[in-house]
Amino acid sequence: MSLLKINGLNKTYPNGTRALVDVDLELSKGMFGLLGPNGAGKSSLMRTLATLQEADSGTAFLGDVDILNDPQSVRKVLGYLPQEFGVYPRITAAQLLDHIATLKGISNGNTRKDLVEYLLQKVNLYEARNKKVSGFSGGMKQRVGIAQALIGNPQLIIVDEPTAGLDPGERNRFHNLLAEVGEEVIVILSTHIVDDVRELCTDMAIMNLGQIVYKGTPADALTSLEGKVWRKTIDRSEKAAYAAQHTIISDKMVGGQPQIHVLSDQLPGEGFVEVAPNLEDVFFTTIHATVA
Amino acid sequence: MFFTFFKREVFSALKRPMIYIFMFIVALLVFFAVVSDNVMIGGAVGDVHKNAPAVIGVFVSVLNIFGLLFATAFFNNAALRDYKYQFNEILFSTPLSKAGYYFGRFMGAWLLSTLVMVGVYLGVVVGGFMAPIFDWIGPERLGPTPWGAFFSSYFLFVVPNMFFAGTIIFLLATRFKSTIISFVGTLLIIVGYIISLNLTSDIDNQATAALVDVFGISAYNLDTQYFTPAERNVIGPAFSGHLLINRLLWMSIGLVILAFSYFGFSFATKAKKQKKSKKGKVATVEKKIIYQPLVPETIEEISGWQTFLSFFKINFLSMFKSSTFVILLLFSLILLISNLWGGFEYFGLKSYPVTYKMLDEVNNLSSLFVLIILVFFSGELVWRDRDNHINEVIDGTPHRSVISLVAKTLSLVSLASILHLTLMVVAILYQAFNGYTNFELNVYFRDFFTGAFLVYLTWGGLLIFIQVIINNKYLGYFASVVLLFMLDIIYLVLKIETNMLSIGGTPSTMYSDMNAFGPGVTGSFWFNGYWMLFGILTVILAALLWPRGTSKTVKDRLAAGRKALGSRYYGALGFFSVAFIVVAGFVYYNTQVLNPYKTSHEQELQQVSYERQYRKFVDAPTISVLDINYFIDIYPEARTTNGRAELLVSNKNDVALDSLIFTVSESYQQEVEIPNSELVFEDEELGFLIYKLNQPLQAGDSMEMVVRFDYTPKGFENEVSNMSVLRNGTFFNNGSILPSLGYDPNFELGDKNKRRKYELPERKRMPDLQENCSDLCMNNYLTDGTSDWVMVETFISTSEDQIAIAPGSLVSKEVKDGRAHYHYKVDHPSQNFYSFISADYQVATRPWKGIDLEVYYHPDHSINIERMLDALEKSMKYYTENFGPYYHKQARIIEFPRYATFAQAFPGTMPYSEAFGFIIDLEGEDKNNVVDAVIAHEMAHQYWAHQVIGANMKGSTMLSESFAEYSSLMVMKQGTDEVQMKDFLKYDLQRYLRGRSRETEQEQPLMKVENQGHIHYGKGSVILYALQDYIGEDKVNTALRGFLEEFRYKEPPYPTAYDFMRYLEPQVPDSLQYLIADWFEDITLYDLRMEEATAKALDNGKYEVTVNFLAKKLKADGAGNTDEATLNDWIDIGFYADRDEEELIMRQRVYLTQEEGQLSFTLDKLPAKAAIDPLRLLIDRVDDDNVKTVVVE
Repeated sequence: MSLLKINGLNKTYPNGTRALVDVDLELSKGMFGLLGPNGAGKSSLMRTLATLQEADSGTAFLGDVDILNDPQSVRKVLGYLPQEFGVYPRITAAQLLDHIATLKGISNGNTRKDLVEYLLQKVNLYEARNKKVSGFSGGMKQRVGIAQALIGNPQLIIVDEPTAGLDPGERNRFHNLLAEVGEEVIVILSTHIVDDVRELCTDMAIMNLGQIVYKGTPADALTSLEGKVWRKTIDRSEKAAYAAQHTIISDKMVGGQPQIHVLSDQLPGEGFVEVAPNLEDVFFTTIHATVA
Repeated sequence: MFFTFFKREVFSALKRPMIYIFMFIVALLVFFAVVSDNVMIGGAVGDVHKNAPAVIGVFVSVLNIFGLLFATAFFNNAALRDYKYQFNEILFSTPLSKAGYYFGRFMGAWLLSTLVMVGVYLGVVVGGFMAPIFDWIGPERLGPTPWGAFFSSYFLFVVPNMFFAGTIIFLLATRFKSTIISFVGTLLIIVGYIISLNLTSDIDNQATAALVDVFGISAYNLDTQYFTPAERNVIGPAFSGHLLINRLLWMSIGLVILAFSYFGFSFATKAKKQKKSKKGKVATVEKKIIYQPLVPETIEEISGWQTFLSFFKINFLSMFKSSTFVILLLFSLILLISNLWGGFEYFGLKSYPVTYKMLDEVNNLSSLFVLIILVFFSGELVWRDRDNHINEVIDGTPHRSVISLVAKTLSLVSLASILHLTLMVVAILYQAFNGYTNFELNVYFRDFFTGAFLVYLTWGGLLIFIQVIINNKYLGYFASVVLLFMLDIIYLVLKIETNMLSIGGTPSTMYSDMNAFGPGVTGSFWFNGYWMLFGILTVILAALLWPRGTSKTVKDRLAAGRKALGSRYYGALGFFSVAFIVVAGFVYYNTQVLNPYKTSHEQELQQVSYERQYRKFVDAPTISVLDINYFIDIYPEARTTNGRAELLVSNKNDVALDSLIFTVSESYQQEVEIPNSELVFEDEELGFLIYKLNQPLQAGDSMEMVVRFDYTPKGFENEVSNMSVLRNGTFFNNGSILPSLGYDPNFELGDKNKRRKYELPERKRMPDLQENCSDLCMNNYLTDGTSDWVMVETFISTSEDQIAIAPGSLVSKEVKDGRAHYHYKVDHPSQNFYSFISADYQVATRPWKGIDLEVYYHPDHSINIERMLDALEKSMKYYTENFGPYYHKQARIIEFPRYATFAQAFPGTMPYSEAFGFIIDLEGEDKNNVVDAVIAHEMAHQYWAHQVIGANMKGSTMLSESFAEYSSLMVMKQGTDEVQMKDFLKYDLQRYLRGRSRETEQEQPLMKVENQGHIHYGKGSVILYALQDYIGEDKVNTALRGFLEEFRYKEPPYPTAYDFMRYLEPQVPDSLQYLIADWFEDITLYDLRMEEATAKALDNGKYEVTVNFLAKKLKADGAGNTDEATLNDWIDIGFYADRDEEELIMRQRVYLTQEEGQLSFTLDKLPAKAAIDPLRLLIDRVDDDNVKTVVVE
């Protein structure tokens, strides 16, 4: 089983934005979650791994294959669902998948036809196979996107923000699908939705400002915050005062009132309740750490 | 509210570059048109100022069509901006006024659209200012800056056109919210315009077409068509006439459309169509369990062919199904059908729909539409993946970029081909529909695949390349359009003419039934290969820069591109580069080294240099030819001819000649052999030779000399220079193979303005007409002193399957060693002006009173032959009866390929182009027609030009061309009533009036015509026809016969127009003597109008009709300024029985001296219409006011 090894990857855009800063990662088969806020560099990393973008320096290998210098070889074993997956107008789902399957090298016509039907069934679009994809809803389009990413025998599947725009039912189906294929190959799931990672991933990393700021299993991440996260519901006017005194991980509205999570080794004050840390806390903690 | 939106619309556009770019493009075009003679907008300006008001009218009205495309952008933007940014829901929920919003936007866009056209005025002002400073054109070619025309053209063309187009575009844009549909709307307007143009091709429809034309161009042309240069220099577009009516009409229609679209407009978002889901169907779908198929574990090599097919299919289908393509296809079909339906009109007749006519139509139309397709879809294709956000998926698959690009190019070319082939199929169906069953599918096939298809391929590749390297769709479009339109202009300015730089350029080929695709085929084959390789190379190179993935910078694109190419790519790149260089080298060798050519600029310089250096020899006495024996061999397969001519020449001067001057042509490699002489001067470049005779040739003595010539083509040329020696249909004159004797003024630069540019003195087109001439009358205008009446004998050979024809009777014919040898000899000394012809002919012969009437024709063109023989016979009969004997033993009509479209008279032979006559549909035409008229005209030249010819001075072409026209009209008149003759003459009148409006120098009276076609054909016909109506046909014929008898085949001095007038004057009654001055000596025009006609029933059952009319006589000077002249004229008043003006029941010639007149006539029956000059015998520029419907009291 091949291993994805990334070493010292750097990318600076012409406008000066540092999208990737010395990124090192090593992952093996299974689901890998990549968390990060918008603009953290997730998509840059994904695109670089998907051979769509040149890196300034560093290396990336999938097994023996040099991703950066031999993109054609990687493309043969790559399944990629970009953040924005659009479709051609006036083309049916089956035609589109057939086209992509051809491009991926499934040259036998019958195999291709079977494969396309199989995948369409798998993403629950078999009935709609002869309808124009451009008329599909966002969720249906996304399922076509997943189907195309599974064409061939991808060794590396990269999905960038896949569940954005999906309703909960669709999102569940999608997770099940990913989990199924993720047993055999490397799946990188880039997202800013913490729950996606929690539900699916065995391994994860958090990115911010082009850097990997956390790397490990979700379980380890949670363990590291065990006993350090406290919750309190406060009045809106008190927010500034709390912020000055405590390290606020997050605040959100619950029942019309701000509820804050605070990072502290001991009870931060009256009214705080210890809570079991969740990945969101991990996420915000690491993000805040890098900003500071 | 209105002003808020109006101002925002205008100012936001003014802050952005688009409007300035558009204005700049327009200004640049006009600038070039003003400062250069090479760039023309709406035709050449001739003797009119480059910035004359009338020229401004043409510039503005023509460029306005292109301006519509810019206008579309503005109107579409104005209508869609809020939708594009999805701002509509926010904006429309505010309490804004609908009228303010709607009209604010509309008016803003309207103003902006008209501002673009201000570029025309900028171009005129800047060009007019700079041209004299930099000496591009002389200051005398510019008038004062025409501010008035700026004003009137802006308000007559720009403002109404933009308004009308704007209402339609705005309606479509607010309704459909689709940029494509908006542009299609614009296209629809242009198509409507083109259809109205087709209507104008028929002369009777002019007034209708002037109204139908949405841009007012036809109306403007109709109002100004007969303006003289002097008038054009001062009169611009005027708020009157057809133009004003047209403008008011279309503005009103625009208002209606605007109102309609305003009331139909609503802020509410149109609910999207909900497609009903078919319930219950789900249950019936069989649930098929599909297991994951076995996919090969590893993919070694991706099949390039399959990838290509898949890309091709996806690209092609999506373009083919797109509304843009469907609409373009429909439009081109509508246009083709309308062109076919109204086309091929020729003086009221239609030609058969022969294949080459179909090809011309199809090629013309498809080139326009394919251009749009290529430009538009090249951008769409390159940006398709990115626009649809599927690029990351596609780019992440292991296909080779170059295959994707090749598929894009070929799908684009296929789309273009589909349009072209569809048009072809329609053309073939049209042929079938018209009962024309000679379907030459092979010709269609070959024409497409060796022509248009390869051009599409070249441009397709190049446009894809442009879109890829520029990597911005709209800049890419801009660059594509600039390349398409500006490149040729730039080459014109830089004086580059090689087809190797003109993208897709090849030597021209033209299909002729006689000679197939012609001599350009070899060259065009190699050029096509060259361009095809160029197109392929651009696509291959584009792959290097193809933005695979999301790389933005050139460096990253190159890096990413390179990795997705592979070794075979470089193999292909290498192979095609080498192939391109080899073919380019071969083409270069053939067109530049083996067959160097002179650009038109270089030819001009050569002409200038010839004149400057050798003009001094113009009056040097030279020899004159007495008789010639030709020995000519034609090798049609090799397009080669060579041979020699043995000349007997004499010294007809009164001094001895000690040296002889010749001007030889390069292409026939003429060589002169003169016994006892020495070549003392030779200018090889200009072909100017001087021989010194060892023994001077005494006055009156003669000597022999030999001329050898050889035309052998080598390889292929940039443009075929010799279209005379052909595979089938060789046709060249004696003038081509013989050198000019002495300095030849015909080689001088003729164009007045070019002469000024090179500081050459003004050149007279012809010497002035002299009453008592001495020297000048010793030369006739055809041979100009180099011969008089000569005897010619010809030994000519050609290939066995062809017939070779030379002047005179066939003495013998012999076939020997696969070659046919002919011997011809003229029966009577003739003009030294004849042709040699060879082709595979069928011959039809009809003996008539000892003369063989013959037609030599292409075997496929047999349909009209009997009628042509009839026409020959009819002419022969009239001429021998009225003018005198015919001195040849044969009269031959000989068909030649359509590379030239004329008929010409040589002694006893009349070559006649295959493009007309032979393919005109005469079925059901029992009346006389133009085919007969042309034959009668050429036949008449056997008398007028070949029996008597005028001296080399003004007025002489009246003696040949006008007389031939007259003779032809008299033949036509037999069996045609006078009202039908009027229909025939209207073409002549129009030819004269249009011609004089484009006069480049000075208009001359008929008697002093300087070889101007519109005068000696057009005006000559009208005047001589009117003359015979006024004084009688027999009187005119008596004058002609007397003149002919005095000068027939007579040695010099040659006659002048005065000599004819000597015979004419006695035939004209005293009361009509004024006609001689008015019609022959002056330029006279009439303004005749029927104002009112009322009829009253009389007791005896008759009717008294009273007419009020207006009659003016005008005299014009050479520049076209007119002055009113005193009226003392006989003019006809006539009455038509029917509204269609077909039955003239009464015509009475009345003597008029007053401008306004009233007369009463008693008629047996009630006329429908009254007319002044009902037969249009007098030259009146406005035709439709001569007739009025009779009102019954």
